[in-house]
Amino acid sequence: MKRFKFQLLALPVIGCLSLYSCEDENPIEDDTIDKEVFDPNSALNTIFDGKIFSIPSPVQTAYLIKNLDLSFDASLGNDVKNVGEYVTEYQQSLNLGVYGADLGYSALYDQKNITLQYLSVVQNLTNQLGLDAAFSSEFLENFEMNSENEQEMIQLMSEAFKQADNFLKHANRKQTSALILTGGWIESINFACQLNAKNPSDKIKRRIGEQKQTIGSIIDILREYNSENQNDTIIKQLEELKLSFDKVMITYEFVAPDTDQENKLTNLRHKSEVIIEDSVINEIENKIKTIRSSIIKV
Amino acid sequence: MKLKIKLKLFVHPSLKYKQMKITYLLIIAFFTFGVAQAQDCERIVKDCEELLKSSDNGKDFISDGQVYTAFLDREKAEFKTIFYGGATYRLAASAGSRENFVIFTIKDQEGNILYSNRNYRNSPYWDFKVDNTIPVIITTELDLDLKVTGCVVMLIGFNN
Repeated sequence: MKRFKFQLLALPVIGCLSLYSCEDENPIEDDTIDKEVFDPNSALNTIFDGKIFSIPSPVQTAYLIKNLDLSFDASLGNDVKNVGEYVTEYQQSLNLGVYGADLGYSALYDQKNITLQYLSVVQNLTNQLGLDAAFSSEFLENFEMNSENEQEMIQLMSEAFKQADNFLKHANRKQTSALILTGGWIESINFACQLNAKNPSDKIKRRIGEQKQTIGSIIDILREYNSENQNDTIIKQLEELKLSFDKVMITYEFVAPDTDQENKLTNLRHKSEVIIEDSVINEIENKIKTIRSSIIKV
Repeated sequence: MKLKIKLKLFVHPSLKYKQMKITYLLIIAFFTFGVAQAQDCERIVKDCEELLKSSDNGKDFISDGQVYTAFLDREKAEFKTIFYGGATYRLAASAGSRENFVIFTIKDQEGNILYSNRNYRNSPYWDFKVDNTIPVIITTELDLDLKVTGCVVMLIGFNN
């Protein structure tokens, strides 16, 4: 019986080692699975992400804001003192997204002290969410070492969030991943709305209107990963927000792209217009403000 | 067919030891396959990350903060995303040791094909300069002449 136990323990190890050791020797043969073992109905053989969702990085809107030469507004971010009040995984996930966007915004504007404060709250929340591997001490050291280099800070931050996303998806914590993305998206649109209210700009209005194309994905991802109906309230709020985005008109005219094979570069040359009335911008601004308030409230 | 025969043996009372052994072997087989699959995906993510590095202007592409992973078997994975105007995007895809396992195609919402790496020897990455914001649909699949099943990873990076 002991021998049998040993065999049972040894099998997975030998199996893993043999699979690992075969890698690269003959890629074509090794990358196929024995047809006899293959069962199309097995859960292992389905696309494990089912639907694949993509939410634009909040950093991209921060770049747009910076390129418009708008000055930094410290009052836009969530207060770092609030972090201790977020005790549930739901609150922590949404607010990690919010603080992540705040971190990107302050880093881009080279606001060293504020950036380090946001870094500290991001570290606090990632520890509580078990994402220490992505936001490791090595990451923090690198980030602090590069606190004069905005480009490097953005690069490090985006990498850390990517690692956290990968970890959460592999650990089947997709709801947490979805909430982080949602928090980041809401915060970045709030930046755009608040800055547009102070200094109206066609470029920011356009960026706000373009979110019509993202809000559907945000709602879908929250519906898909809605454990114990925790997302119901925010989904309702976002559906209400979507009604305002439905009033945005976006025109599109296809133009064949131009590809430079040598440089592996394709220029997308289509034409498009975003038509959005000021009253609709105001509606969106108010609704975003309400949703954000319910996320950051303590 | 083999599996059915084993299941018949499974219920035979005189073969309790075999029954246990088969159950354990099945569990181990699934466990081993699952672990190997996860390790495979992790390794591919690392390979794919390298493809986001060093653009022509010397700056690495900034990740959009997400990892797009699918385990494909003769099927396609599809997702929608947005390319914002004024940025250059890099799409990078990998499915293992070879660089040309994955075919990815980008279409606009009207179904017009904007790009497919199938036309460029399944290039593992490609850059897209975007003047006006555009929602796109990205489809990834394995090149079945090279690999029929496995983990596919895609990363999106941008530069402003």
